[in-house]
Amino acid sequence: MVETQPILEFSQVALSFGETEVLKQIDLALEPGKFYTLLGPSGSGKSTILKLISGQLHADSGQIFFEGQVINDVPAEKRRVNTVFQNYSLFPNMNVFDNVAFGPRLKKLPAGEIETKVKEMLALVKLAGYENREISELSGGQQQRVAIARALANDPEVLLLDEPLSALDYKLRKDLQQELRRIQKRLDITFVFVTHDQEEALAMSDWIFVMNDGLIQQNGTPEDIYDEPINHFVADFIGETNIVPGIMKEDYLVHFVGKDFENVDAGMRPNERVEVVLRPEDLDLTDPENGKLVVTIKDQSFRGDYYEITAMDDDLNTWQVQATNPAEVGARVGLTFDPEDIHIMRYNESEEAFDARLESYDEEEAEAALQAARDDETGREEQGQ
Amino acid sequence: MKKMRTPYLIFMFLVLSLPILYLVFYSFNAGTTMQGFAGFSFKHYSELWQDTRLIDIVLETGIVALLSSLLATIIGTLGALAIFRVHRRTIKGVLLSLNNVLLVSPDVIIGAAFLILFTTLKLSLGFMTVLLSHIAFSIPIVVLMVLPRLKEMNPDLVLAAQDLGARPTQVLGQVTIPVITPGIVAGFFMALTYSLDDFAVTFFVTGNGFSTLAVEIYSRARQGVSLEINALSTLIFLLSLAIALAYYFINKVGKRAKTPELKEKVK
Repeated sequence: MVETQPILEFSQVALSFGETEVLKQIDLALEPGKFYTLLGPSGSGKSTILKLISGQLHADSGQIFFEGQVINDVPAEKRRVNTVFQNYSLFPNMNVFDNVAFGPRLKKLPAGEIETKVKEMLALVKLAGYENREISELSGGQQQRVAIARALANDPEVLLLDEPLSALDYKLRKDLQQELRRIQKRLDITFVFVTHDQEEALAMSDWIFVMNDGLIQQNGTPEDIYDEPINHFVADFIGETNIVPGIMKEDYLVHFVGKDFENVDAGMRPNERVEVVLRPEDLDLTDPENGKLVVTIKDQSFRGDYYEITAMDDDLNTWQVQATNPAEVGARVGLTFDPEDIHIMRYNESEEAFDARLESYDEEEAEAALQAARDDETGREEQGQ
Repeated sequence: MKKMRTPYLIFMFLVLSLPILYLVFYSFNAGTTMQGFAGFSFKHYSELWQDTRLIDIVLETGIVALLSSLLATIIGTLGALAIFRVHRRTIKGVLLSLNNVLLVSPDVIIGAAFLILFTTLKLSLGFMTVLLSHIAFSIPIVVLMVLPRLKEMNPDLVLAAQDLGARPTQVLGQVTIPVITPGIVAGFFMALTYSLDDFAVTFFVTGNGFSTLAVEIYSRARQGVSLEINALSTLIFLLSLAIALAYYFINKVGKRAKTPELKEKVK
């Protein structure tokens, strides 16, 4: 990940408020020109990281680097970083132009240059011609656009966004998500976006940091995090999921809900206790005799583009299934899935160990093992006949 | 109930303003007492015009009021900012209580206290002592008018200004002060009226021939009210009315300038 010089780096950063440890040993590195998201529930420490970057808070220990220089003691107003606040925080005593011109004016730029800059920024957020409007005349979405323009008018190297879309309605939020992504690509600067909305994070980011309890639980591309969650928290927080306890009998063979299943994970101790993750969209309904599991449909709700089905197996495990076709409540059906759909999580595995284990066996090896197992099975069936 | 509302309101305002109207009415009396109207005349107004001592006192009262409320506004606003920044709850509570004690304690006590202070300091009583005591009792009023504005202000505005590169003095001058200006203006006007009104405190700390309107009217009233005072009261009443109306219109114009579109929609 660290090929180019990181624009921003945290090394062993920790912060406590009184007795509460808000951040415990945070290490991270951000490359220039990328869209990063800090994702986590409230109180996970994600906003605290933003405040440490912007200079509103100061770390108890550890170092924060900006372009290789330690900036722990640089005051907020001298950092080349700007923030878009959750509640917009526009200056109510100034109109749109004066709000956006606030930063450039403090830098004592010539008046002509300021005007060009403000016009350019307002055009970027699609608010050209709104210069003389008062803030009170604008809608929430427009106010947030002004706030983005105001922060960008200062030419930051890194733009920090603290849950900027959470006060907006669904449609507007979707629009602004795309806008932000477009603006980030156009300006080619680093964005650090804080949110508790996993859907938003998956849709916008190049790289996600999942936070909980003052620690980075996992970081990676949206696909990595969704497909290979490291632990129960991440799997549960990112998207709907089914998690059941299981035993990894040997490489590529897992035992759960009383049966053995082939899978593509390896590198664990024999008969290690693990957690098994199956995403609802990876589960398919089929006839009871073709199913790997047999379940009873308990509940079903229509979600527009799919049906959310709740089913229960005979051991009383609940299964969430997303299906394009409706099912009948009370019916007994089979559940089927592919070996690749099974994801195994070890208890208390660190991120380094997790990454190392994934690298220790490559996909091809897993495929080969699977193929061998299948041949074996067909062989046995043939013998039986 | 609804039928009763208008007559009730008219009755209320009549009762409230009757004494003033009575006073205004007799200021035009050709006679010299408030018993019996002897005919219409401007005689008391011309007497007033020739009474240079009274005119001087009016001017001095005005100067004391303007100066004291201006200084109290500056000191009080800074005080409110300082109290607002105190984070320890107990200390904040103590400071606020000390501020409120000054507001609720009787003027006589405050006046006596200042008199004792000034004589101990061997200050000669007069313009300066009146000015100082007026500033002192106006400060808590300003603090009380400004603090709520600070509490209402979105604290992220300060963070946003810092984030955009503003130094603390720039944050104060360009964001905090403009946002709390309505409170500061209200505090100034409150202080102004308190100073113009004040009798008790001034009575204690004035001397060497210096007098304010309230004290002067009081001392003249003891010798039997001259209708000259009625004439003066009428003029002051008209002046206050003019200020109140002006304030109303300034507010209205200010609001219209800020939300032109809303006004159009209402139409």
